Amino acid sequence: MERRDFLKGTAYCGLALAFGGPLTPLSAFAAENPKARRAWENRYRREFLDTRGDAQGFAFHCSNCQGNCAWKVYAKDGVVTREEQAAAYPAINPKIPDANPRGCNKGIVHSKQMYQADRLLYPMKRAGRRGAGKWERVSWNEALDDIAARVLDNLQGHGLASLMLHCGTGILSLGRRAGPLRLGSLLGAQRLYPASAVGDMFTGASLAYGLATVGHTLDAWFEADTIILWGINPAVTRIPDAHYLMEARYNGARIYCITPEYNASAKLASDWLPVKPGSDSFLALSLLHVLFRDGLIDEAFVREQTDLPFLVRTDTGDLLRHRDLRDKGKDDVFYCWDEASDAVQTMPGTQGHFKKSLRLGKLRPALRGSWTVKGRDGALIPVTTVFEQARREALKFPPGETQASTGVHPALVERMAQDLAKAEKAIVNIGFSLHKYVSGTMTCWAAALACALTGHAGERGGLDTENNWSLGGIGPLSSPKPARFASGFFSEWMNGDMASSMKRHYSDAHLKHSLGLDNREIDALAGRYAETSGAWFGKPRALLLFADNMLRRNKSEAHYRRAFIEGLDLFVDVNHRMDSTALWADYVLPAKSQYESWDLRGELGYHRFCNITVPPKGLKPVGETKSEWEICLLLAEAIAAAAKKRGLDAIPDPDFLETKGDKAAPVMRELARLADDFSDHGKLRNDEDVVRWLMANVPAIAPWTPEEAMQHGYVTLNREAGFNSPLYANRPFHSFEHNVYLRQPYKTLSGRQQFYVDHPLFKRLGCATPTALRPLRPKTYPLAFWTPHTRHGIHSQWRTNAQLLRLQRGEPHVWLNPATARQRGIAEGDPVRVFNDVGAFQARAKLMPAIPPDALVMDHAWEPFQFRGRLGLNSVVAGLLSPLELVEGWGHLKFNPNWDGNMIAFESAVDVEKTA
Amino acid sequence: MSARQLGMVIDLNKCIGCQTCTLACKSQWTDRDGREFMYWNHVETKPGKGYPRDWETAGGGWDGARLKPGRLPRLTEDYGIPADFNFEAALFRDSDQPLRPLEPMQWGPNWEEDQGAGEFPNGYFFYLPRLCNHCTKPACLAACPRQAIYKREEDGIVLIDQERCRGYRYCVAACPYKKIYFNPLAGTSEKCIFCYPRVEKGIPQACAYQCVGRARHVSYLDDEGGALHQLVNVWKVALPLHPEYGTQPNVYYVPPLSPPAFDADGKPSGQPRIPDDYLSQLFGPGVDAALATLQREIDKKSRGEASPLMDMLIAYRHGDMFRLSRPEAEKP
Repeated sequence: MERRDFLKGTAYCGLALAFGGPLTPLSAFAAENPKARRAWENRYRREFLDTRGDAQGFAFHCSNCQGNCAWKVYAKDGVVTREEQAAAYPAINPKIPDANPRGCNKGIVHSKQMYQADRLLYPMKRAGRRGAGKWERVSWNEALDDIAARVLDNLQGHGLASLMLHCGTGILSLGRRAGPLRLGSLLGAQRLYPASAVGDMFTGASLAYGLATVGHTLDAWFEADTIILWGINPAVTRIPDAHYLMEARYNGARIYCITPEYNASAKLASDWLPVKPGSDSFLALSLLHVLFRDGLIDEAFVREQTDLPFLVRTDTGDLLRHRDLRDKGKDDVFYCWDEASDAVQTMPGTQGHFKKSLRLGKLRPALRGSWTVKGRDGALIPVTTVFEQARREALKFPPGETQASTGVHPALVERMAQDLAKAEKAIVNIGFSLHKYVSGTMTCWAAALACALTGHAGERGGLDTENNWSLGGIGPLSSPKPARFASGFFSEWMNGDMASSMKRHYSDAHLKHSLGLDNREIDALAGRYAETSGAWFGKPRALLLFADNMLRRNKSEAHYRRAFIEGLDLFVDVNHRMDSTALWADYVLPAKSQYESWDLRGELGYHRFCNITVPPKGLKPVGETKSEWEICLLLAEAIAAAAKKRGLDAIPDPDFLETKGDKAAPVMRELARLADDFSDHGKLRNDEDVVRWLMANVPAIAPWTPEEAMQHGYVTLNREAGFNSPLYANRPFHSFEHNVYLRQPYKTLSGRQQFYVDHPLFKRLGCATPTALRPLRPKTYPLAFWTPHTRHGIHSQWRTNAQLLRLQRGEPHVWLNPATARQRGIAEGDPVRVFNDVGAFQARAKLMPAIPPDALVMDHAWEPFQFRGRLGLNSVVAGLLSPLELVEGWGHLKFNPNWDGNMIAFESAVDVEKTA
Repeated sequence: MSARQLGMVIDLNKCIGCQTCTLACKSQWTDRDGREFMYWNHVETKPGKGYPRDWETAGGGWDGARLKPGRLPRLTEDYGIPADFNFEAALFRDSDQPLRPLEPMQWGPNWEEDQGAGEFPNGYFFYLPRLCNHCTKPACLAACPRQAIYKREEDGIVLIDQERCRGYRYCVAACPYKKIYFNPLAGTSEKCIFCYPRVEKGIPQACAYQCVGRARHVSYLDDEGGALHQLVNVWKVALPLHPEYGTQPNVYYVPPLSPPAFDADGKPSGQPRIPDDYLSQLFGPGVDAALATLQREIDKKSRGEASPLMDMLIAYRHGDMFRLSRPEAEKP
């Protein structure tokens, strides 16, 4: 019998009697002593040895997962048989649980994924209209020559910015990502900021710290007394580290889990706070309310480390600046009221202050009070403190009153505030869910303020969005020349004409009432951002896309796809599998996947280990796949050859200047020399060369060698990996030790944790200090719709894996409260249609008591091609952006990797009905 | 009863339902040769019908000294078919077919994921990993008319002799946990072998060693320093599943704590949201005392006091969770 037939279930047909039905025991008959017959046991022993194979490599799984886990990969006769966690990380400290055996349900099925039937095996060219699914197999050379010619046509005809060479979140490792980054940088192509494109910016943290990603290695959980999980479900999305949470509870910690649905992390918490969807900022302000009301405040910390003592003009709402008091005064020097001298004094450590330290010396900045100070023209200026402003705002939100909007009982808020304040070490984890609401910026900012008020930073914990290491030394490899680095969310907003679905879903009156700005005003802000931010380079005409499922991810799905694709002259998708985006490409180029090329990953700060991928010896190639580095080199060679044929040596790029001698000259995009530049004159020919280069050039990896990494599957990062704290060998990492203990200024305008932004828009929206913003979902449809990260994929990676689908229900399903379903005549497993004025999709219903009524929830990232009509779950999500995230050019709020915005994903409303 | 017994404790508080164990077992043993539909180890959400569907009402086990009749689970309806998918048609042909199982799925090992019971906001669920219990009084062994099932003297692992088995399936029905599967390709019944080929080499079971939640402890029951003895006999926080089935399982569970339920005003009531009665149905009368012990020891840690029980459940070293060594003389 063929194995395939068996899998299809035909083998069972004649065997109906083998399964099902009652069976009454017989009395056993005697046999010879079975113990004498144990030779058969070798059968399973042999099987075990077969799975161990004849070669072993190491791997991690490179995707938009921060887990970064070392695995052993076994192969037999050149084919991968199985993977198993290496589980070899050393303990850093006997009092802290070790990091083993990191891994998860996705990593463990990759050996199946790599040979699954959606694998791309050969270069293919579309043979019908885009998206039709008609393909023609072509040779690598045929594909490369045509692609190179068309890339050149666009560069010559439409300028350098017409090319987008973007590597998405399917590849985030140091090694494999370096190829596309390097090629794009040499060509001057535009690329999107991935964290923003996928909606993973923590803008609330950016406001407070000038940094989006802050926090701890997750073993820090173990030492915490209080842990607040806010819009994060680590038991599902941080599987390798989730053990530290229950271990922390066993170690005496209290865990508060704030999430609208009861989930796997709520299950392990001491308390679950069933916050109504989108109302988190009200809960956050109530938390602040209790801290301010009861004076649960670490005043010494607040005076030195935050801008709370800064003076604010009560006439204009602006921070009091040097220029308010002095002719030719500075914009970025600020004041406090000094209790020691009973006078206004400048605060050291701000961006414009000559003293680059937070040390207060003899200053005793007041937190409470109002005063008048004499302006530069002699007029008196009324002032108070940021502390007073923030306190006044928080006092508007007593927990007894916000319960109506949040659904959280005041007793829980009071207790959480007390536990936060009294904890020696408290960690507040902000998940990716929060900033998928417009209010998320405020929720996160308020949570940062709660940490500041209670003095939680450095060893005492504090806010945790996610820690990333700062691995220097990579620049010469990934960015030899300046590239067109574009805002993620904003480029997708413009490229996909997302404003039109916003206008359809949110009426002007609703937006004006809920947010204070209508569609026209948001449009105007977006228009200004496009003009002035330097973060958008226009719609691309040629797209070389690596491992980015943008047609799965983007909102108002079909509309986005049409708007984005129709402007493309050339669309090449480099991928290891056929995803919803590759389906629409002109060419698909088959890439190697997780176990097939050398790679290195160490930038992820959940732990301190840098993992290596080394394929098992003798691994047979899968089809004609190539590593991303080799593909980029081939593209570079093809473009160089075509350019030479056209007599085209280089294109000047006056948008970027470099100094030559004493003159500034435009950067030259050296097309004829592209391959030579890419390979650094033949020194970087393949993925192994790249990994060896990285290990030799990244200082945080020293003193380890590739050979040492190959023995264990990982190396341990050294002290240098920490960005704003040292990474100590025997302690969990905590952000901000340089600031808290060495008094170095933060990367903010105030040089401190910043809780006052006097940008006109912030003031206009009442957001100068942390406040609560209402959920924006319109009342036109009754159900809130949100799509938390799934347990069974890293976004769409592994989402179509057969092994994982067998552990689900094989096709997409939405989660409904049983009562909500009953009202609509929907039963368990029924086919349903989810709809609103943006679009509709079909799935099946799964009834879940864990889901609140008036909600429809779905774990995210199903591929559109898993739905009927190939319309996925983003079909009902309206485009929306946050006006606050369009603020550009105020203090530390300038477009950069720490200040970019989000696609707002959880503010759409839907209804659901049963279908045939 | 065997001379020694290797056992497992699964801490349900640490189980996060991630299914890594399910898939570790699958790639180690059941992704081939007629076992594709089997999950020797799986994780089901409780309360629920479980896997195979309605296994708790499918009979088997002991009624005093007599075996109880049992029911054979059905393939499609109770186990679920090992679905294959139409990748070729959905992705590489001019079609608008969605990606789907070639035959509709009706059930599976994780069909009821995160469903549970109760009413919002007092819904509740937890995860229950299940494998062969390697029982001290195995009903399967007693039910086999060929005497193909035996319990190894040196470690108490229960095995079905694949050369002797004729596929009568009396064991499938007799196992009250329904953790024996009939392999239609081989014509024999198969089940979890407690990874004896790994254990004999000093490598813990795939499900235990690869458990990312660090929820599984493995040791011999008579090893007084081992977690089994400590958690089962000394602290009495690890309990067998459905002890009333009478087979004396050697896989034990630390029962789940849960955040408090809310009263009508939304205030935490102080009562766990998982009803004690339900846990007693699963784990017997020892549940209340076990949960009280856990809470008492957590409170000690909160006050900064020592708790050897908590330290054992924390398991500072992954490697220390497994004590597989045996006296030299007993090695096979």
